[in-house]
Amino acid sequence: MDGSPSFDRFLAAVDRDGAIAETRTRAEASLSRRRLLGLALVGAGASLIGSSRARAARGLAASDVSILNYALVLEYLQASFYTEAERSGALSGKTAEAARVVGATERAHVEAFRELLKSQAVKRPTFDFQGATEQQQPFLKTAVAFEDLAVAAYKGQAPKLQSNAVLAAAVGIHSVEARHAAWMRELFGITPAVHAFDKPASRASVTEIVASTHFIVAKPQLTKRRRPKYTG
Amino acid sequence: MIIVLAASALIGLLRPGLGASHHAHRTRAAASLLALPASPPPALKIGPPAQLSSGRYLSRWTIVRRPTVALAEPRPNATVVAALATRAPEGTPNALTVLRAKTGEDGALWIEVRLPVLPNGSVGWVRRRSLGAYQTVDTRLIVDREALRATLYRNSRVIFTAPVAVGTASWPTPSGEFTIRSELTRYASPFYGPVAFGTTARSAVLTDWPDGGFVGIHGTNEPQLVPGHASHGCIRLRNSDILRLAELLPVGTPLTIR
Repeated sequence: MDGSPSFDRFLAAVDRDGAIAETRTRAEASLSRRRLLGLALVGAGASLIGSSRARAARGLAASDVSILNYALVLEYLQASFYTEAERSGALSGKTAEAARVVGATERAHVEAFRELLKSQAVKRPTFDFQGATEQQQPFLKTAVAFEDLAVAAYKGQAPKLQSNAVLAAAVGIHSVEARHAAWMRELFGITPAVHAFDKPASRASVTEIVASTHFIVAKPQLTKRRRPKYTG
Repeated sequence: MIIVLAASALIGLLRPGLGASHHAHRTRAAASLLALPASPPPALKIGPPAQLSSGRYLSRWTIVRRPTVALAEPRPNATVVAALATRAPEGTPNALTVLRAKTGEDGALWIEVRLPVLPNGSVGWVRRRSLGAYQTVDTRLIVDREALRATLYRNSRVIFTAPVAVGTASWPTPSGEFTIRSELTRYASPFYGPVAFGTTARSAVLTDWPDGGFVGIHGTNEPQLVPGHASHGCIRLRNSDILRLAELLPVGTPLTIR
């Protein structure tokens, strides 16, 4: 994790139940344990340990891991949205078909990120789409917003990636998200491609947009320490 | 772009009838293209699109996000069936099983839910905006009062079964469709065993019981009474069984008592 102020703001906005922070703390604790183990084994190997702290899953730079987790949260958001829409059975015609196809793709993205990040992957937050998955027009409006946001977010992070292999993957996903955006725009009745150049979106602006939806909520705590008063 | 350049170079190379100098130039151009470094393989192995399972055994639940009323029909002026608080008597969020959604004549989205009220089996319509996030479970718990047995399914597979004690003839365990809505732990009460699950089922007899006479599923300090008809309506399991069930039963699971 890079601990950059913008990413911290993003976490604060989306991580109301602490799931991401918990994973982050665990990952950092794991790194600390590995560091202690490293000290015990190699004695004066501090430089090696320092190097290992800067590297994360599969030799990725910590900043790349941070960007991948940021992308994973957006993929969780999209995958959960389409899954809930498909499960609701409220969509019809071409919209239902698009939700099915796009949802399957977004779920594949999620699995790929989780596979790469392994224990450093952030947990799936709890999403409350407030009915946007259960009516056709609110669904399309939200889908357009999500896809446009994802396209802009990937564009905003691509130049910051250190690994060319991660960049190659990100570019591959970015173009798929752009196709999704065009498809949803067409279904919603707006022009799929208007501008000759698309602007990237910064983490800060994506954070603000995601936070403003209130789609990410605290997970209900249904386990409690309390003496029962049931009939017995 | 690279593909276009390479294709142009190859087309140029294949075009007949040009002189030797042109040929040499084209050869150098093609060679320079071939000298470009290969693209790195993507770091992510993205699999095929992940289709959803049938969802045949999935059910959805949600919580009451703001105090509201459940109505008999999905329209604002319909008869009130029940008032819904944000908290269950246990102090946990008020969890309800979601049955279906409908857009009302007012254009608002209405959700039909199972209600934790008497008569047992009541359902009602609630505005979507008063409810929280949807959660899904692939489990369902069935309590058979004749066989005196609880059985937990995940999808269609039995993952737990154990004998139970249910209510006596004077204080019967109600039948119907309900929801597991809370899990209480780390309390000091041998009578309820180590774990107790709260349900939306209510005793039709013990209506003045503290917290309203809800039926729980819990352990016991009288294991010799399991299986049997021994309770005031609650579903009692031996402590070893309730601990095993607690490992498998997610809150929000639909409960059928028959």
